[in-house]
Amino acid sequence: MSQLVSETRPASLLYLDGVSVSFDGFKALNSLSFVVEPGELRAIIGPNGAGKTTMMDIITGKTRPDSGTVLFEDTIDLTRKDEADIAQLGIGRKFQKPTVFESHTVWDNLELALNRKRGVFATLFYRLTPQDKARIDEILTTIRLTHRRDELAANLSHGQKQWLEIGMLLAQEPKLLLVDEPVAGMTDAETAETAILLREIAKTRSVVVVEHDMGFIRDLGVKVTCLAEGSVLAEGSIDFVSSDPKVIENYLGR
Amino acid sequence: MISSFFLRALEGRILAAVAVLLAVALLVPAANLLTAPDSALHIPTYAVSLMGKYLCYALLALALDLVWGYCGILSLGHGAFFALGGYAMGMYLMRQIGSRGVYGNPDLPDFMVFLNWKELPWFWHGMDMFWFAVLMVLVVPGLLAFIFGWFAFRSRVNGVYLSIITQAMTYALLLAFFRNDMGFGGNNGLTDYKEILGFSVQADGTRAVLFALSAIMLSLCLVISSGIVRSKFGKVLVGVRDAESRVRFLGFRVENIKLFTFVVSAMMAGIAGALFVPQVGIINPGEFAPANSIEVVVWTAVGGRGTLIGPIIGAILVNGGKSFFTGAFPEAWLYALGALFIGVTLFLPKGIVGTIQHRFAGRRAAKAADEAEKSAADTAVANQIQAAE
Amino acid sequence: MLRFFLSILLMILALATQSVAQSDPKALIDALGKADFKQAEDLLGQIAASADPRVVPALEAFNDGDLYVRKSDGAVFITRASGANLALIDPLSGAAAGEAPKGAMTKLKINNSLRRVLRSALGGLTLLSPDRNVRLSAADAVLRSPSAENLELVEAALAKETDREVKARMEEARAASVLSSDRPVDQKRAAIETIGSIGGRDAISILMSASASLDASLKPDVDRAISKIQSSLAFWDLGQNVWYGISLGSVLLLAAIGLAITFGVMGIINMAHGEMVMIGAYATFMVQEVIRTSAPQLFDWSLAIAVPVAFLVTGAIGLVIERGVIRFLYGRPLETLLATWGVSLILQQTVRSIFGPTNREVGNPSWMSGSFALGGLSITWNRLWIVAFSLSIFFGLLILMKRSAFGLQMRAVTQNRRMASSMGIRTAWVDAFTFALGSGIAGIAGVALSQIDNVSPNLGQSYIIDSFMVVVFGGVGNLWGTLVGALSLGVLNKFLEPSVGAVLGKILVLVLIILFIQKRPRGLFALKGRAIEA
Repeated sequence: MSQLVSETRPASLLYLDGVSVSFDGFKALNSLSFVVEPGELRAIIGPNGAGKTTMMDIITGKTRPDSGTVLFEDTIDLTRKDEADIAQLGIGRKFQKPTVFESHTVWDNLELALNRKRGVFATLFYRLTPQDKARIDEILTTIRLTHRRDELAANLSHGQKQWLEIGMLLAQEPKLLLVDEPVAGMTDAETAETAILLREIAKTRSVVVVEHDMGFIRDLGVKVTCLAEGSVLAEGSIDFVSSDPKVIENYLGR
Repeated sequence: MISSFFLRALEGRILAAVAVLLAVALLVPAANLLTAPDSALHIPTYAVSLMGKYLCYALLALALDLVWGYCGILSLGHGAFFALGGYAMGMYLMRQIGSRGVYGNPDLPDFMVFLNWKELPWFWHGMDMFWFAVLMVLVVPGLLAFIFGWFAFRSRVNGVYLSIITQAMTYALLLAFFRNDMGFGGNNGLTDYKEILGFSVQADGTRAVLFALSAIMLSLCLVISSGIVRSKFGKVLVGVRDAESRVRFLGFRVENIKLFTFVVSAMMAGIAGALFVPQVGIINPGEFAPANSIEVVVWTAVGGRGTLIGPIIGAILVNGGKSFFTGAFPEAWLYALGALFIGVTLFLPKGIVGTIQHRFAGRRAAKAADEAEKSAADTAVANQIQAAE
Repeated sequence: MLRFFLSILLMILALATQSVAQSDPKALIDALGKADFKQAEDLLGQIAASADPRVVPALEAFNDGDLYVRKSDGAVFITRASGANLALIDPLSGAAAGEAPKGAMTKLKINNSLRRVLRSALGGLTLLSPDRNVRLSAADAVLRSPSAENLELVEAALAKETDREVKARMEEARAASVLSSDRPVDQKRAAIETIGSIGGRDAISILMSASASLDASLKPDVDRAISKIQSSLAFWDLGQNVWYGISLGSVLLLAAIGLAITFGVMGIINMAHGEMVMIGAYATFMVQEVIRTSAPQLFDWSLAIAVPVAFLVTGAIGLVIERGVIRFLYGRPLETLLATWGVSLILQQTVRSIFGPTNREVGNPSWMSGSFALGGLSITWNRLWIVAFSLSIFFGLLILMKRSAFGLQMRAVTQNRRMASSMGIRTAWVDAFTFALGSGIAGIAGVALSQIDNVSPNLGQSYIIDSFMVVVFGGVGNLWGTLVGALSLGVLNKFLEPSVGAVLGKILVLVLIILFIQKRPRGLFALKGRAIEA
């Protein structure tokens, strides 16, 4: 029996079906359905107000849907959990605006994000172990911030803050990473580096990226979902989606 | 585990501050008790009690710093926890009067006899035992903070809203304690104490011990606070202050973090109140006045919030100033206090200690910042070249 | 029973002496000078029965303690103080009769039971007065202390009465008198009916006191009438409570409405808001001072003059505060809270230094004093005016916000500062004037509150927490929320008060608001929206 369970990998990591939510009569999401498979890197595009951020709010427990199903690993109903529960289940989220702890050093930021016991007393009496140190060093290398580890996060450049935030998500060891506009405000060089970083990360976990930058999405080279007015307009490869007449009309423009 | 918590706590400035406080705890009583009244080194008893009062205020400011400076919760009701701790101690002191009151009733405090009460209300039972009263000094403010925080933090009442309802809380308590039928002496509060643990509250020796105890409790709370803010928990706390939703999305239970800090802070405020009451000899509902709680905020802001030592310095400076002004220019005190509120927020947002710290850190950081700027400039140049290509 | 016999006895006495009385009331009045309390009671009955309206001044003087007897000849006079002497007035003709030293006169003593007899006698006599208002109040007097001996007098007056209102009142007075007379049961039953339809607590007490001496067969009628009155009283009590609630709510609205702008629209925690209200009240005081010394005839206009004065003064202070302090603190609400608290301390102390720490007297203009009855409600004019005033300020502000160019700019700046500024709106200017507007309205509120509260430097402190509660409860950024919040908190407060007392009621309201904020952190009328990232 137990063998059977361990062998059955979930068919989907994240499963949204018929999710709707409205704010004061405005339908932010309109019967949205959407599936992410384990290990998948997925890009989401869509015009402003298409419901991209609202979708992320619902997955991470910040907003409750009016109706619909949101399942994680096929069994866990995310609509009944709050942000902390969902983060502990293994869903990490990067905000549109880089959100790091500015008055902490880069190192402390990562230490806080490490996936360790998060209770009040566990953190009060926490001591940094050699394993934890090694893990933080490893992440610092991945996000290319080793040379600034003792710097306050406030002193980082915009792009570096974005990376630090991604690094914090890595330290969280999530199964699913939601990344909202990771390259907004980045230089071209940083954008290209970020694409490489995300592909690297996606080797070990599922990643969902919301982005406006079509060049960046082309760089990622993954399956694309286009949202408009709160529901899915088209899904497929970037070339397939960007040739869809509905997508052109709604989003890309003629 | 615990030892590492305290080792971390006692680093650097905190160690120095604790050393100073403990020295004061020894030297001031010594200068009061062991020197002749005409000696240059003599400190009169009234001055000892006055300084003891300042130390209690300092402890209250420290408690507020823990929630405001580190967790971003601007409580405008910390005076309520202070007053509750004070009332718990005051109840013990009332019971110690025994039959020496004006009406000579061995079981009932004078005000109850005056109100024609026949027996002690249930919540006065046990308050004649010192250990129980001390327990209540911690439990009552802690419990109120727990209940209030449980609801407020769970429903994510934040920022200004939280400040306003904490103010409403202390205001409601103010009104409640003014009522005679609450059983806490109404308008007049609790006063005319005779003894504490069998020692006369008026005696020089008792006053000196109370002073030393205030200094020791202050340093103990300083060490505990320092241990808290220097632990990983403390870093999470600052994270809650700066980017609450990030902490949530990292999987921390923000409400528990806030609740723990709020309760610890309320208990410290309660201790401060309990030490305050025997030294000033009275506790009355005026301590619940919203204005008092706001004044604590300015002590903390003047000294520098989020520095632990700053609020202690701030409380002592502002209250020293208050004693001076109300003696010398009573009219001018509110002007000075008002100007202090405005001046600190406009010109000294980090407070005294915060600003000094910033200067020191600034010199070290200046170099690092230079480098960072250089590297940023380099990337900018590189980008321009790239774009040109 | 005793009273019943007494009144019969009195009537017999009255009949026996009628001829004397009618011929010479003067003799009866002079007899009062020698009578003890018991005899005086009899004499008063005779005087009343004389139905001679000329005796009224004498009886009134007796009631007021101005009736004296001259020691030398036992003659009775109405007196007025005239220096060390007493000026004597003939009790019947009202003609001056010289002066006498106080030592030569003795005051006629009066006790409570005598006073009651006197009142009913006066009531009966003045029923025949040619003056309509006197007759009306006489009927009232009889109604309040009905007695059997007045009954015939009332009936006589009733027969002659033509004025409808007076007639109705006399009918009621007659009914009340019938109850204490020996009239037949069916007349009494009709009387109970009549009194029952008057309603009010007085009617209940008339019925209660009469029921003891009434025939047992009338008991159910009395009970029915009383319970009918009580249920209508309960209804009016409810109405009265609602009115008190609305009245308190309008005060809260006045205090909170300026805050709804500075806090609700601009997000500024202005702890000096209460001091603006206080300064508005002092502005009213100043205006009245100037009017008292230079143009007393304008006193009734003082509030109308004070409104713009208060608005300009507090608005200007608000402008200075915004330019001097607040503009450096935008985006840091908690710091604003502290700085404005500092401002409030300075303003308080300044006012205390100028005007002193004690209460200042602000007068009510004539049109704001007194009260009137609406059904079973008693409504005071000043409360009614304040309700009307606060509502008109509220709607005026609403129109300003929704319809004027300034309101549009204000809303634009609060919604998207950068966009507004790039569209050519001078945002700094808009900020300053929005804050000045909020402060000015607080000042106007102070004008109204000076009419019902003590004008002291602490006036503002007592409103600040309540005002914040109203704004937070109603929902920040929503004027309608402030209106509903203020009125519902006012009514809630007044409904809690009778059962738990004023202080506990207030505490309960505070606790309820704290709990409510937990449930709906953004208040009653909060806007829902996409969660904003912190």
